[in-house]
Amino acid sequence: MTVRGNGLRRLIRVGVVGLWLPAIALAGTASPAAAETRGYAISMIHTATYGDTDTCPAGMNGGPTEIKQRRLMEKGYSAEEALRIIANDGKDEDGNRVEIQAPAVFDGISTNPANLPSLTPDPGVKLAQGRFALGFNLNGEVEPDSFEHPETGERGIDNQMWRVLGCYDVYTIRRPVRPYNEDIAWDTALDSMPAWLMSVTGEDLDSDGEVTVAFDRALNVAMRDTHGGLLPGATYVIDPDPRSHSEFRGRIEDGILTIEPGDFSIQGESQFYALLRFTNTQLRLRMHSDGSASGIIGGYQPWKDYYTYLAIRGEGTAQVDLPAVYYAMGREADGVPDPVTGENTGISAAYFIEAIPAFHTKLSGEVAAVSVGTGPQYNGTAVHYDAETEGQ
Amino acid sequence: MQSRSRLALFLAGLVLGASLVPATATAEERTLVRLTQTQYQRAIHELFGASIEVGENVAGVGVRDRGLLAVGTRRQTLSAAELESYEALAQRIAAQVMDPSRRATLIPCSPQSDTAPDADCAGQFISRAGLFLFRRPLTEAETSLYVGVAEAATNTLDDFYSGLSAALAGMLVAPEFLFRVENSEPDPAEPETLRLDAWSRASRLSFFLWDSPPDGQLLAAAESGELLTPEGLNRQVERLLASPRLEDGLRAFFSDMLHFDAFRTLSIDTNIFPRFTKNVEDDAREQTLRTIADHLLNQNGDYRDLFVTRDTFLTPALAAIYGVPLARSQELGGAVPWMPYQFPEGDSRVGLLSHVSFLSLHSHPGRSSPTLRGAAVREIFLCQTVPPPPPDVDFSLVEDTENPNMRTVRERLTEHRTNPVCAGCHSLTDPIGLSLEVFDAASVYRTTENGAPIDTSGELGGSAYEGVVDMAAILRDEPQAASCVINRAFSYGTARGPTRAERTWLGDVQEELSTQGLKWRDLMRTIIQGPDFFTVIAG
Repeated sequence: MTVRGNGLRRLIRVGVVGLWLPAIALAGTASPAAAETRGYAISMIHTATYGDTDTCPAGMNGGPTEIKQRRLMEKGYSAEEALRIIANDGKDEDGNRVEIQAPAVFDGISTNPANLPSLTPDPGVKLAQGRFALGFNLNGEVEPDSFEHPETGERGIDNQMWRVLGCYDVYTIRRPVRPYNEDIAWDTALDSMPAWLMSVTGEDLDSDGEVTVAFDRALNVAMRDTHGGLLPGATYVIDPDPRSHSEFRGRIEDGILTIEPGDFSIQGESQFYALLRFTNTQLRLRMHSDGSASGIIGGYQPWKDYYTYLAIRGEGTAQVDLPAVYYAMGREADGVPDPVTGENTGISAAYFIEAIPAFHTKLSGEVAAVSVGTGPQYNGTAVHYDAETEGQ
Repeated sequence: MQSRSRLALFLAGLVLGASLVPATATAEERTLVRLTQTQYQRAIHELFGASIEVGENVAGVGVRDRGLLAVGTRRQTLSAAELESYEALAQRIAAQVMDPSRRATLIPCSPQSDTAPDADCAGQFISRAGLFLFRRPLTEAETSLYVGVAEAATNTLDDFYSGLSAALAGMLVAPEFLFRVENSEPDPAEPETLRLDAWSRASRLSFFLWDSPPDGQLLAAAESGELLTPEGLNRQVERLLASPRLEDGLRAFFSDMLHFDAFRTLSIDTNIFPRFTKNVEDDAREQTLRTIADHLLNQNGDYRDLFVTRDTFLTPALAAIYGVPLARSQELGGAVPWMPYQFPEGDSRVGLLSHVSFLSLHSHPGRSSPTLRGAAVREIFLCQTVPPPPPDVDFSLVEDTENPNMRTVRERLTEHRTNPVCAGCHSLTDPIGLSLEVFDAASVYRTTENGAPIDTSGELGGSAYEGVVDMAAILRDEPQAASCVINRAFSYGTARGPTRAERTWLGDVQEELSTQGLKWRDLMRTIIQGPDFFTVIAG
């Protein structure tokens, strides 16, 4: 049984909101004394897709079957023969295994082409060319081929990631459907990957005004509710690792949270995004009355980051032609030129993001952000424990 | 397979045979109280070690009598199907005890041959196991019976340990093990009254204080007659009260009194209340028991302060329900972290009534219920009886939670009470329950229902109050709250309700303990050392 001894008593940390809020970790910033910091846990994030009737005028790239069929047809098989081979688990009518995709060979060593896509020919990809895409005008210009935001009507939307991926079956969808590979990657990672956090600090978060927005990684994994989503009101300890800390000046106006562009970086897990990072990051979140928030985050993402995610999933789950995507992303990249080669290393991208209320604490146990919503009300008392009490 | 069938026949015969063996020649009155699942498990583990897999045995929840299952167990019998399940369990346990890896430590001798009967060795094991399983020494007839079973089964199965296993399985399905058989004898001081004999005293003491069969010291005190003297009894009572195992007994009592058996059928609609996770359900019961144990045993607090205490223990899952930041410093692994927590002054979370274990256990699956909660307060904490609703009552108005003209349950119940048939009982339950409406069915705090503010005012015992904190304070000082737990404790220990004379005495106990503080150990000591704890009421 547990004994409420002095050692435990001293672990009960009592703080009053008004006392700890000025000390909230916004190190290095000159933000004004804050009246309120609300905490969130990211409950969903995936590429922002917007499939429409005019998205793919040049046709679709299909899915795994079509990709294999194209490869077999390039080897001389008819469309029907190719389908029979695919249906026969990669064997021809004589039962002989057919090499659907030639391996990449480097220094005499054969390897999966997804690992060294530059050593395989570019199969080409049909690009998304429709009028609409989700995202942001990252370069401030309205070019002839830039997209239009389907909800706000904003012109000049930069989303070259969508241009590359939008005509694959798995991406040419629209909410509430999510890209299959990212959906299962997120769901799998959720029970093992440290949670991703967001906090908003401002004088009065229920009114229009200036705010500070921070993103962090937690040290603990997400807690789920009975629907399989994230549990509102759960508590997460902020990982002090600065590599997963991003901070932005922002503003809430008519319930919409936006930020001034900056750099974003957060560490994940390899089956999901090992690293999600943007430059020129922008955010547009609607703050809901139940305490949750949802919207889009985006910016220029190192295109090889996303390719790495796809390659780790493999073509079977990613459901795209990996070498084709590799070449297309390199071609369509539109930001962050390499200072030496001049080649763009970043590709404009946008992600749907959802967040639910959560408490954040520092390692010390000090509460850094409060869970606010339709659920329980926080009264200013915090509790934490450390290794001394772990497992009681 | 053939051997197994033969073994089953042996066991069936044993059950019949054992039940015919008189326990003591002096028995004047016998009562039987069926062991609970936990007590059964403890009996096995304490005798043979915790590595014996007992699993879920077949003891049902039973019936509640006078607010307690412990009283209802006195009326509990054993069906043929239950006996069959007990028999299967007995064979599994016996097989584990006889496993070659355990024989050396659990069997006090080695047979002369592994394939032939050895009455001496079998007798040694049976006598020792029988003392702890039957909680008294076996009679010569019983010893002969089980040694005979071992011998016959050994001859049939050509294996000494299989034979001994059959005998052990037979003991494990005997009524003397499955039931607490309390034997009485005339009280020498008052020959016209009956008292428990020394062995039955040991059992009553141990099950009352430890929820467990008597240990070796208690059995020795019974054998020596120590338990029949006031000094000897006091020595054993103080030993039991000083043991950490007292918490086992306290937890068993409050699990019974608080109706925690209802957790088996708790059904909060997780579509409506997605925060009510399995972890919450699992932790809710433990939170309350841990709070009670800490308050009454570690802090030596007054029972009545459980209604107003702000001290409790939380896990991360419970913290999310209660709106408290509670995080773990390590990301994975480890046991469920229980952390002490004190709700701040002014918070509505005060006392046991604000725990998930009370609020959700007495809610409907999809909505809170002031009536169920109010009735539970009266029945569980005040030992009052609230009649069930009449069979033809129309609940449609109360259940219409989306009625735009009656957005709060207070409004709906007010309308419901215009029916005079309903008004009587609802006037008892609703004022209490409505104050708890700030907690929904999942026990999450709220200030509005369907957008309308929740009015938490009410009345209890003639005192009006504004909210749940005030109500808890009134309940804390309500004399019936103290008398209720005292009566329940007496009934729990004796497995019967108090007589009229005993109720009078318990009233004196209440007066005394209420003055000096209603401390748990004092209450246990007072009840045991009172005039009637070991008295047998005929019939």
